[in-house]
Amino acid sequence: MTEEIIINKLKELSGGKIIEAVNPSTKRIYIKVLPENLIEVISVLKEKLNFLHLSTITGVDKGQTFEILYHFASKDSVLTVRTEVPRDKPEIKTITSIIPGSILYEREIQDMFGIKVLEIPDPRPLLLPDDWPAGVCPLRKDFKYQRPEEIIPGGNK
Amino acid sequence: MAIVKTFFYLLIYPGVLFLFVYALFCEWFDRKAYARLQNRRGPLHTGKAGILQPLADYIKLFSKEEIIPEKADKIMFTLLPVFGLAIVLTSAMYLPIWNYSTTKIGFNSFPGDIIVLIYLLSLPTIILFLAGWHSTNFFSEIGGVRVVTMFFGYEIPLLLSVLSPAILAGSWRLSVIAQFFQSNPGLLIVNIIGFFIALIALQAKLERTPFDIPHAETEIVGGTFAEYTGRNLAFFRLMTDIELIVGSGLIATVFLGGFPGGVVSSFIWFIIKTLFVIFLLSVMKSAFSRLRIDQMVKLSWYILAPLGIFQILITLLVKGVIR
Amino acid sequence: MSITIPIGPQHPALKEPISLRMTIDGEVIKDADIRLGYNHRGVEKLFEGKTYIQNIYVAERICGICSHSHTTCYVNGVEKLSGLEIPKRAAYIRVLIAELERIHSHLLWLGVAGHEAGFDSFFMYTWRDREIVMDILEEISGNRVHYAINTIGGVRRDIDETQKTKILNHLKVLRERTQYYKNLGTNEPSFVARLSGVGKLSREDAIALCAVGPTLRASGVDMDVRKDDPYNCYEEIPFEVCTSDTCDVLGRTVVRINEVLQSYDIIEYVLKNLPAGDVRVKAPRKVPEGETVSRYEAPRGENIHYIKSNGTDKPERLKVRAPTLGNYPATVAMLKNGFIADIPLIFAAIDPCICCAERMAEIQDVKTGSTEIKTFDELKKYSKKFDKHTEHKKDVEWPL
Repeated sequence: MTEEIIINKLKELSGGKIIEAVNPSTKRIYIKVLPENLIEVISVLKEKLNFLHLSTITGVDKGQTFEILYHFASKDSVLTVRTEVPRDKPEIKTITSIIPGSILYEREIQDMFGIKVLEIPDPRPLLLPDDWPAGVCPLRKDFKYQRPEEIIPGGNK
Repeated sequence: MAIVKTFFYLLIYPGVLFLFVYALFCEWFDRKAYARLQNRRGPLHTGKAGILQPLADYIKLFSKEEIIPEKADKIMFTLLPVFGLAIVLTSAMYLPIWNYSTTKIGFNSFPGDIIVLIYLLSLPTIILFLAGWHSTNFFSEIGGVRVVTMFFGYEIPLLLSVLSPAILAGSWRLSVIAQFFQSNPGLLIVNIIGFFIALIALQAKLERTPFDIPHAETEIVGGTFAEYTGRNLAFFRLMTDIELIVGSGLIATVFLGGFPGGVVSSFIWFIIKTLFVIFLLSVMKSAFSRLRIDQMVKLSWYILAPLGIFQILITLLVKGVIR
Repeated sequence: MSITIPIGPQHPALKEPISLRMTIDGEVIKDADIRLGYNHRGVEKLFEGKTYIQNIYVAERICGICSHSHTTCYVNGVEKLSGLEIPKRAAYIRVLIAELERIHSHLLWLGVAGHEAGFDSFFMYTWRDREIVMDILEEISGNRVHYAINTIGGVRRDIDETQKTKILNHLKVLRERTQYYKNLGTNEPSFVARLSGVGKLSREDAIALCAVGPTLRASGVDMDVRKDDPYNCYEEIPFEVCTSDTCDVLGRTVVRINEVLQSYDIIEYVLKNLPAGDVRVKAPRKVPEGETVSRYEAPRGENIHYIKSNGTDKPERLKVRAPTLGNYPATVAMLKNGFIADIPLIFAAIDPCICCAERMAEIQDVKTGSTEIKTFDELKKYSKKFDKHTEHKKDVEWPL
């Protein structure tokens, strides 16, 4: 299956839900969907086109919006599903019902970009410490790191 | 004179002092053999060929800070290592090395002393269980439970295998058994299965690989020893080292014909035979990976115990023939 | 009665900090939970503030053992973005280092698996032979762990004929030893008893939980980025993807040993067919706007970098997904209903790599308790000052 066939088949099966599909180089496909159509497209990808493996989920801070990229891999190609959520209402639905292995990546996105993943089975922070202040998202472009004042437990009495 | 001799027996040879020095030597020997089998060098720097390394380790442990967990039972926690050490030192007294007679009954040689020795050797297991339990640490408690589970596995095969030479010699007295085999060395071959069962059971008793399940560091940190530090840990290590000598001494007595002769020759025989047993244990330590607790219990009940009974059957047959 | 025991963040079975909370009932694990973040260094944020050349060195330090994997993945992506075609010889040398790294990583893993199973002799033997690979790598790149061979547009060092023959001679020894380990690891009864049937992960679960690398291949799925999505001339090199149907730790061991044997073949092929020519081309400092997904088969599994450039000499976004993260959901599934004794083995079977090190040193004065933060340059000055006062021993003999 070449990239051309995959794109055509996907367009046909999902019924016009693909906003944009490009194939910049061999074995690389990028498609764009609306957040509300995401689950539908992903289930088509998994069941009809054999994209079973989710490599990772990437978040990108684009200023007014956050871009979320789902990188899928199969024997034939690497397909990236791209979707955008607005900065003032960063919410996306979970895809764990289709791909259970996505849970850690979704939790990472939640930590790092503050994008709320709705209906996620396990919403605890993955990488950030438990006492991390809410609303501080390290991978957003406006985050600047400042070393907190060192407090040594039991020291300097 | 007799009192002086008894005191010499208890405190110097083969009592506390000899056991301590020989335990250090055996630990060095075990470590060196184990290291060479693994393509390593082992201890090198302290003393000639690292022979003083175990002593240095003990000195280091004795000088370390002692930490007792807040919730632990302090009296039990500190007394258990001392009890354990005392028990194995007592058990060493019954080995027929020197100052015993086969006819007269003394405090260290009497009919039934083999049972007393096995009993005393099983007590450190209980000590280890209690030590794990009183540490009030999850890992120690799991270790303690594993100690007891393993105890039910290896104790019966050990008893069965030691039973067969006793039956053949017709006595429950270690010195008589040893003397019987010294006069009939050909009969030692009858107990060959029992010898290997006893070796495996002893390895399990000493909690060495492949039976280091109760203190497997990659699974349950230090197991029973997880909370022990400093002097208490040193006592436990000394207990295990002396238990190694006593256990191999027991096997050497009943399966390898004991230690004949006077002071000097019995001393030489003791060293040779125990080192041989310890070497076999080291080979076993390097050749296998650690078993799981269920596999260990299965091994002892499905293989070792039936083999032990089979050994006793052979012994009974041979006994019938030589009569 | 069920209790929760903490395995980690500090535990003898784990070489790096991670926390596994096990709910156990007797000796059986009822539930497992993984808590990450003890070692998070914010590398992805760091990437955004550094130039493409600097980022090679940052990527190299994501992981110690896969240091070549991360740089190759990153450099391949950047080259694709800027439309560079690297010389064939450079691609072959990258493959050579990658396969040596795979051997090094898998031999290390074999030793660790032996150690976790209480088989220390196996550990000592494999780690001794791992030294041979380290020597080869030092011979080629000058370093044992961080090879620093990649640069944008090719590799930094070439290899010559003497090095080639040396490597081939070393390989002969290694191949013989590996055959012996394969025999030992799959026939020694007590070791096999510990490995077989432990940590079952069915084919369906492995796919659904997005497992990668040997963990996935041991469940019978022949996913290998080198075959599916070839990079660096892998399409020209003959090799087989090793799989196993046993779905347990034994299968993962067999897959890894077979992969090592395949790597020897690849290295021999690469050395015999090494094309002549340059090893690098000049690369521009700035990368045109664009995005790319770069995949790489690291020893532990699929490694993926997503690179987004914005036309300057610094990347807009660089996402790194190391293979271990992809295997965590599968690990939790494998741990359930296992024995406590199997925790270290199952966890080690994914070959976890929880990476390390901070970029800024913090010095605390013990006497005053005050903390001061020193930059790297200050530290260097400090070390030079310290160095002046210590005497240098000359002709020191190694005590062995």
